[in-house]
Amino acid sequence: MRKYSFTLNNEPVVVKAPPAYTLLEVLRNVLNLTGTKDGCGKGECGACTVLINGKAVNACLMIMEQVEGSDVTTIEGLATDPLGSVVVRAFEKEGAIQCGYCTPGMIVSSTAFLSRNSKPNIEETKEFLRGNLCRCTGYSKIVKAVIEASRG
Amino acid sequence: MESVQIQQASKKDFDVVGKKVVRAGAVLAVLGKPSYTADIATGDLVYVKAVRSSCVHATIESIDTSRAKLLPGVLAILTSKDIPGVNDAGSILSDRPLLAEKVVRHYGEAVAIVVAETHQAAEEAAMLMDIAYTPLPSVTNPNDALKPDAPLVQERSNLVKHMKIRKGDVERGFSQSDLVVENTFKTEFVDGLPLETEAAYSYLEPSGRIACVCSMQNPFDVYGKVVKILGFEKAKLRMIQATTGGGFGPKSDETPIDVAAYACLATLKTGKPALAQFTRDEAMIIQCKRHPFIIKNRTGVTNDGRLLAWQSELIADTGAYVSKGHLVLGRAVFHCTGPYEVPNVKADGYCVLTNNTIAGSTRGFGSPQVHFAAEVQMDLIAERLEMDPVVFRAKNILRPGTRTLTNQRIEDPGLDMCFRKAVALSDWYHKRKQYEQHNKGTSRLKKGIGIALLYHGNTLGPESGDFATVHIAITPDGKALVETGLTDFGTGGMTSLLMVAAEVLGLPYEDVRMSRPDTGRVSDSGPTVASRVTVIGGRATFEAAEIIKNRLSRVAAERLACSESSLIFRAGNVYSNDKPERRITFRDLVVEAADRNVELKSVGYYLAPTTNWDEETGQGSPYNQYTFGAVVADVEVDTETGFIRVGQLTPVYDAGKVINPLGLLAVCEGGSIMGTGYGIMEKIVTSEGVIMNPNLHTYWIPTILDCPEIINSSTVESAGQIGIFGAKSIGEIPIVLPAAAIANAISWATGVKIREIPMTPDKILAAIMNVK
Repeated sequence: MRKYSFTLNNEPVVVKAPPAYTLLEVLRNVLNLTGTKDGCGKGECGACTVLINGKAVNACLMIMEQVEGSDVTTIEGLATDPLGSVVVRAFEKEGAIQCGYCTPGMIVSSTAFLSRNSKPNIEETKEFLRGNLCRCTGYSKIVKAVIEASRG
Repeated sequence: MESVQIQQASKKDFDVVGKKVVRAGAVLAVLGKPSYTADIATGDLVYVKAVRSSCVHATIESIDTSRAKLLPGVLAILTSKDIPGVNDAGSILSDRPLLAEKVVRHYGEAVAIVVAETHQAAEEAAMLMDIAYTPLPSVTNPNDALKPDAPLVQERSNLVKHMKIRKGDVERGFSQSDLVVENTFKTEFVDGLPLETEAAYSYLEPSGRIACVCSMQNPFDVYGKVVKILGFEKAKLRMIQATTGGGFGPKSDETPIDVAAYACLATLKTGKPALAQFTRDEAMIIQCKRHPFIIKNRTGVTNDGRLLAWQSELIADTGAYVSKGHLVLGRAVFHCTGPYEVPNVKADGYCVLTNNTIAGSTRGFGSPQVHFAAEVQMDLIAERLEMDPVVFRAKNILRPGTRTLTNQRIEDPGLDMCFRKAVALSDWYHKRKQYEQHNKGTSRLKKGIGIALLYHGNTLGPESGDFATVHIAITPDGKALVETGLTDFGTGGMTSLLMVAAEVLGLPYEDVRMSRPDTGRVSDSGPTVASRVTVIGGRATFEAAEIIKNRLSRVAAERLACSESSLIFRAGNVYSNDKPERRITFRDLVVEAADRNVELKSVGYYLAPTTNWDEETGQGSPYNQYTFGAVVADVEVDTETGFIRVGQLTPVYDAGKVINPLGLLAVCEGGSIMGTGYGIMEKIVTSEGVIMNPNLHTYWIPTILDCPEIINSSTVESAGQIGIFGAKSIGEIPIVLPAAAIANAISWATGVKIREIPMTPDKILAAIMNVK
């Protein structure tokens, strides 16, 4: 077991975890924050997307050594974030959800995107979300939700 | 009689049904609290991992657990000998053991399970298991598997089922034809690939009963099998559906039985809560695939474009265990001519065992494969006749009064309506001219437009008893609780049921809610498969709501001093149609009814009429009603790279009375993309039975960048004979046609002949080189 310190959803945390643990394992199995989903464990589906220092990353690819000292925001933290809650409302309004399993990762990625690009077009939106797989919706409502969120 | 009644019902004005209902709180429900299986799993958990065969076909000589057992944290290792009940995890036929006994028959078959204190220990121990195998001869090509000297996959013939259609005299039809066209089509194994892998969490309740929470479509199927595996009496197990991250067929098939049984066996052995979840590669190796088909279509037509004869031979590779292969074959054969009237048809379908990965239920269930083959065949014939594919199809489509390949009379005009609307919306004739001009002026980027049509027999039909059960309870606050073992896994089916309940009871949608499907609370509701929740489940919901409405009507009629027949239930109020000022709120009525001890719980049951057909000739009426559809695809082909860009899809479906328009649109969009992936991207690659690409970087599903720029979905409404208020199925159907429509567009744009999917750039490029 090793100790890791980082900021999680604006609170400092110290966790004990085996050295090979990924951020995804720490979030889900140690901290019981289950909003971040495990879809593949190999950085291929985007279901585990979190923000590290404001950047969207796959939590399953981050070993805890890399997370030490960083600022981590998960879907749980975005619920109270002003931009994050605008995105959540837009997904709700557009019905950009079916089974829901990709939704947390989609919302985290979309928030990271909108924090850097407040007036995006459809192409830019698609380009940014290319790493988040969805098997149900066909994506068009997700694009609509992101554009809707950018309008506030 | 029944169809008349339903058609009248569909004409009445609705308050909830057919309106746009947003699933309020749907996003927050997923984000707000743990709801998927692995999120819920808590307590002093143990983890279960299967030990899987590295061989394709072999006898198990010995299983040595000694090294694995020594690993710290390992609590138990179970093999087939340790199963207390029956070692049977087959969903319909009992041909597949939960844990292999003497023989493994496919790559990745489970031989043992490891139970450990951590996930890591379970995984490591699984790798330390020493299993000695002696390889057996294997067969991985279904054509080879049908040869008399082929190795036997199971202790039975490799031929699982031979399905026949014999209509008219096909040889005479060919001899009267001016033109006979023959082509062989091929499709591949693909993975439904729900984003959440199979998962089950079990725990002991204080009563000694085991509760199992699982990601699945069919709680009662899983329950029925697991209770036997555990050797339990029925009351000692309860199966609960967690929020389920996608289904697409695999989660209605056998892998949910596997994970549920693994978890429950671990709980039984250790007394502790247990979690069993597939990794992504495990899911992609083990979960059932879409059947690959080899389809030979031979078709005879007259010079003026009339279909006279159609002969099909279909070979479906179902892998090492049957799963639902025999039923998939049935649906395929029943649709193999596409939605056309052909007077003479002969079809022979073969469902074949091989040592490949198991193929089973996958969204569309045999229909995508045969529609691809039939609809590309139609274009290849049109080309030979030098006839526009739309004109050629129009001469042959199923219209009222025509008869299908099983000689079933079609009563409704849904196909013609879809066809006309798709041609109009896609601007077919104009685009054909426009793209023809464009293609003359360019050598690299060619544009094409293609069309495909479908019919899809609704619900289970010949596949099983087509029933549903729905419970409704009115709570003291005047709201309704709908409970059933039917499930939602992103389909929106439950929203439709709530809308039906709200409609009948005259409640706003918000006043009707649902509990989690739980075998301990409801009676067997039938499976959530075959796009049947709205159509069949809607009827059961209607029955349950009517029972309560009738009971409340008696109380209301007395209270308002009017006749029961004059009562209107609407928007949370009940009033007399004759004297609207005489009214009572639904809530006050419920309080009054409760005071009079009126039972406010009901069970609605609906069983669809049994369908009939002849085993020898396939003639009869295998389905109670049909959904129809048409899809037009606009594509651009890069003739230098072979890359396909699908610019627009125009899907039009006749789903009968649309109950939940937003849900239907969502399913159409999602299915269109999944169907596009089936057409141009997805293929499980196998080498001598070993899956080579069990991951998302070498098995590609559509990303947001692969989507058509425009999906212009729409519907027409031609009432179904049995569905609630005239509804027809839609859930699976949008996956069926994109592959064929895209193939036809590519062929028209480039002159290449496409007979295989997926149409990956390498294949397109090779075909273009061939034409040149």
